[in-house]
Amino acid sequence: MAERSDVELLEDLLAREQRLLSAYEAALRREAIDPALGELLRDHEREHVRALEQTLAGRDRNPRARVAPPELNAALRSREAFGRYAIGLEEDAVAAYTEAAAAIGRPALRQPLGSIMCCGAAHVVALRNSLGERPFVP
Amino acid sequence: MAPSLTRREALGGALAATLLASCGGGDPPPSTGPAPGSGAALLGSLLALERAAVAAYGTCAEQLDGRALEEVRAIRAQERGHARRLEELIRELGGDPPAGRSEDDYAREFPRLGSAADALRFGEDLKERELRAYLEALTELPSVELRTQASRICADEGNHLGAIRVLRGLPAAQGPFVTGAL
Repeated sequence: MAERSDVELLEDLLAREQRLLSAYEAALRREAIDPALGELLRDHEREHVRALEQTLAGRDRNPRARVAPPELNAALRSREAFGRYAIGLEEDAVAAYTEAAAAIGRPALRQPLGSIMCCGAAHVVALRNSLGERPFVP
Repeated sequence: MAPSLTRREALGGALAATLLASCGGGDPPPSTGPAPGSGAALLGSLLALERAAVAAYGTCAEQLDGRALEEVRAIRAQERGHARRLEELIRELGGDPPAGRSEDDYAREFPRLGSAADALRFGEDLKERELRAYLEALTELPSVELRTQASRICADEGNHLGAIRVLRGLPAAQGPFVTGAL
């Protein structure tokens, strides 16, 4: 039961990371993000996806469907729109990691999930800064 | 060895000594009320760290102005909120939060900061240490509720670290994993 619950938490996080990865890839193709920033964030998301897939390997999985959200197309029209869209995705992911890092049954996974959560929090800062906003907003 | 690394090590070493003192020797023990294994002792250590951080960012602020000063003040205000939350959690576990030390008492042990660059480097080093402490607490705290509280504060610390790095002219995220890896 606990193991199943852990898998569900990890599947949810993986789906969020894949959504972020797809969004940064699309933004880079459409020049909707500064290339250096977009490549950095995309590369981080790739590492998160790889790590989660590795953790889930060999378990009884129930992968989530991958469908691009309709809001993404609208967000790709400008760097400003994409930045705000990406901030929302990152903040949602940070919230999901906050819950998962506390709730996951395997203690050994809590610290690495927290580590990815902090990376997501830093992504929010980077995106805010790219929009000319204060990087830290309490 | 690069001069900046030497200075960073010097700052980090002084800070480590300060934090060890604040978490172990300088503060009264967290509490005698809660049951062993309740997590209160660990929360007391995190509280001591937060109080040291509040004092440290006050010291940093003396070297800063403009945008950097605003950001560090905002971070310091949120650190105070973290300390209050930790005090509440210790009380909810039946304990009494440790009395702590005065900000001047902490400040005497900080390295001498001669510039804004020094202050931000010191701030980043401190933030990394706070973050690691919360990540370790996620493994050790006994209940989901306590871990959730620690996890929320940890996310704030990740935000702070990113902001300080931006103020230093560095990428907000230093890598895909802030510490360790899956």
